[in-house]
Amino acid sequence: MDFLNPVVDGFGVVLQPVNLLYCLIGVVIGMLIGVLPGLGPAATIAILLPITYGVEPVSAIIMLAGIFYGAQYGGTITSVLLRLPGEASSVVTVFDGFALAKQGRAGTALGVAAIGSFIGGTVSIIGLTLLAPVVAEVALDFGPPEYAALSLFGVLLVATVGNGGRTKSVIAAGIGLLLATVGRDTFTGASRFTFDSLNLADGIDFVPIAMGLFGLGEILYNLEERHHKVQAPAKVANVWPSRHDLKQSRGAIGRGSVIGFVLGVLPGGGATLSSLVAYAVEKRRAKQPERFGRGAIEGVAAPETANNAAATSSFIPLLTLGIPANATMALMFGALLIQGIPPGPQLVSEHPDLFWGVVNSMYIGNILLLIMSIPMVGIFVRILRIRPAILAPITVLITLLGVYTVANRVFDIFLVIVFGVVGYLMKKFGFEPGPLVLAFVLGSVMEKAVRQSLLIFGGDVTGFFTRPISGTVLAALIAVLALPGVRYLMRRKSAARDKELV
Amino acid sequence: MKFTQMSRRVLVMAASGVTATVVLTACGGVKTTSSGGEGAYPTGNIEMSVGASPGGSTDLITRAIAQGLSKELGVSVPVVNKPGANGALNAKELQSAKADGYKIAVQNASLFTITPLAVSANEAVKLDDFDLIGGISQDDYVLIAPVASGYKTIADLKKTGKNIKYGTTGVGTGAQLASALTFKQAGIESTDVPFDGGAPALTALLGSQVDVATIQVGDSIEQIKARKVVPLAVFSADRIKFLPDVPTAKEQGYDVVVSQYRFLTAPKGTPDDVKTKIGDAAKKTFATDTYKKFNDAHCLTPIEVTPDEVKKILDEYATKYKAQLDQYGISLAAKK
Repeated sequence: MDFLNPVVDGFGVVLQPVNLLYCLIGVVIGMLIGVLPGLGPAATIAILLPITYGVEPVSAIIMLAGIFYGAQYGGTITSVLLRLPGEASSVVTVFDGFALAKQGRAGTALGVAAIGSFIGGTVSIIGLTLLAPVVAEVALDFGPPEYAALSLFGVLLVATVGNGGRTKSVIAAGIGLLLATVGRDTFTGASRFTFDSLNLADGIDFVPIAMGLFGLGEILYNLEERHHKVQAPAKVANVWPSRHDLKQSRGAIGRGSVIGFVLGVLPGGGATLSSLVAYAVEKRRAKQPERFGRGAIEGVAAPETANNAAATSSFIPLLTLGIPANATMALMFGALLIQGIPPGPQLVSEHPDLFWGVVNSMYIGNILLLIMSIPMVGIFVRILRIRPAILAPITVLITLLGVYTVANRVFDIFLVIVFGVVGYLMKKFGFEPGPLVLAFVLGSVMEKAVRQSLLIFGGDVTGFFTRPISGTVLAALIAVLALPGVRYLMRRKSAARDKELV
Repeated sequence: MKFTQMSRRVLVMAASGVTATVVLTACGGVKTTSSGGEGAYPTGNIEMSVGASPGGSTDLITRAIAQGLSKELGVSVPVVNKPGANGALNAKELQSAKADGYKIAVQNASLFTITPLAVSANEAVKLDDFDLIGGISQDDYVLIAPVASGYKTIADLKKTGKNIKYGTTGVGTGAQLASALTFKQAGIESTDVPFDGGAPALTALLGSQVDVATIQVGDSIEQIKARKVVPLAVFSADRIKFLPDVPTAKEQGYDVVVSQYRFLTAPKGTPDDVKTKIGDAAKKTFATDTYKKFNDAHCLTPIEVTPDEVKKILDEYATKYKAQLDQYGISLAAKK
């Protein structure tokens, strides 16, 4: 097979000691910045860009790519241990990950997440190796109407993933959608809810909202709790996922890999959607969906697998079409340009060594990350043994610093505090922040997509239904809406049978 | 590798966090004293702020210049991203910074010439509030269509007789202005579909979600070379060297000249000798092969002119755009 020759040559490139070293440096940096909330891969790569000028192009991109997917691994750690999701795609992990940590099973959660991430990443690279050009062409069929349908579907799923009551989830999601409207209207330039402040002109950033509602809110809530009862630091039992845990998450990891790969190809919100969809799928398939949100291991395995798979497949638009899907990809685009290798449709044919070198380095990088994760899990879970009186202020400090680094703006620190108070109140009144944050992220995608679609359709709403992909998604959406009614009837029939444990 | 003491672990964690931050913010430090101080300028770090997120053209240009300035002036030149409001947030901050030459920024012409036409007056920033150090480069727009469409010129679009949906890089950008002016002058019925920057607009065009799109040359040159998209016109005054075979809109009979243009600014009242020193260092940077290569890679045309010329160019643009919008009754902001 001629097709496989360049792939094999690519391994020759990666296995050069220099490239292995850059791969290692990349994933280590990635993992570290993933752990620090706020400082994302984009900012890090921007800072490291000048260093890459003097390096071979392949080595440079291998390192930068390593930072990108390494950060996905690191992000899990704070989501599970401290309830601090650093990126929109790890919000869903918080639900069950943090619940598991509270039960003293943080190690289980992190272990399964690491294994899931590894498998998801690897499956996605295999997909990238075999299908990249095909997938890229299909992704182009996703226009604004398809995004509109998908994000609407996502918002609907949001209401079902929270473990509070459904009404409360819907209310929280509604508030999230409203928050997404803050900022300068991207279609008319009119200011909405900015109160004449330029700080709000671009709307509210995801990081202050997530850090405030989840991280700070949780800390404030715990401070109050401590006055009622003495909270023993969580036990850190069984650092390793048991055979039973692995068996239980096997299906979730498999499905998460596929979902992540497919949705990750879509620029703009693909990774977030994939983690959300993967979680929702597991919750729907589960025999006892009520376990979700209270420490179901599949609830960690599915989104973590999916977001890593998505991180890998998000390279497809850049490497095969020359389109950077997000800020990190834009920087890699810049790095390639500087090296005299313009990323574009001809990259694969003109620079096969680079293309396959980078793709194959991801196999190695994922293995390195898995190896590193194992001892790291053991060390990181001990964070939970630290007394809250010490851990809480450190967490707050790191959170505030992290939020500041996103846009170097003091205003964002005030935002975190405001959202921290909101998060505290939400928890007190039994609302989940998850639906709010996810609806916020999807809301801005949806608004743009719907308005762009309507401009393209000339205001004709039926356009959404006559296009094959958006039509199908909308049909599925209607089916999901109708499902609770059907389920209700079914459950009444089999209510008695449902009691056995898994 | 077993830590037994809790406090030590906390310390290690905190230390690794702090080290990472320090390393990341102060890379390539030559001399890292704090800003200000006595003696000949510069005695400390010069901060270059960017009114956009990492990865965009303005960010990359700033980083390329910062690297050169650092080498020429022998001090660290950290780049700090302060995204928000198309750069207005950063501009306002620069405006109120101490005018001592330790805080400078690359700014976009569109912020002063086009954005004010689309947003409310109190959000607009004025050129007079800054000292200019010198011009940098011009970033041109190109009107592109999918190959399959068969369009070759702007006239072809008119022949279709249908409502042309055009993608742009956003409201209040040169892409929007250039397209709106062209279609109005050509009498082509059209709908503006704004995207968040060049990449999403290009994606939509490649998938034929929109009929044509106007984006920066640097964002589309590879797709043009690969014959995935066809360039219909560039919006520069003369043809550009990166696309020598593509006629300008002007050649095709439309009076539309719109480019993005970037220049170096300092807070108002910065001493002349300081400005000269920065300006000279910038010129030396521009003359290096590394920087020239950078310009070519990003399809930027150098316009490394004096502050007075920068002002002249910007004033001309601002007046002309406004007059043209009035003449053709176009509004970039509220539609219909």
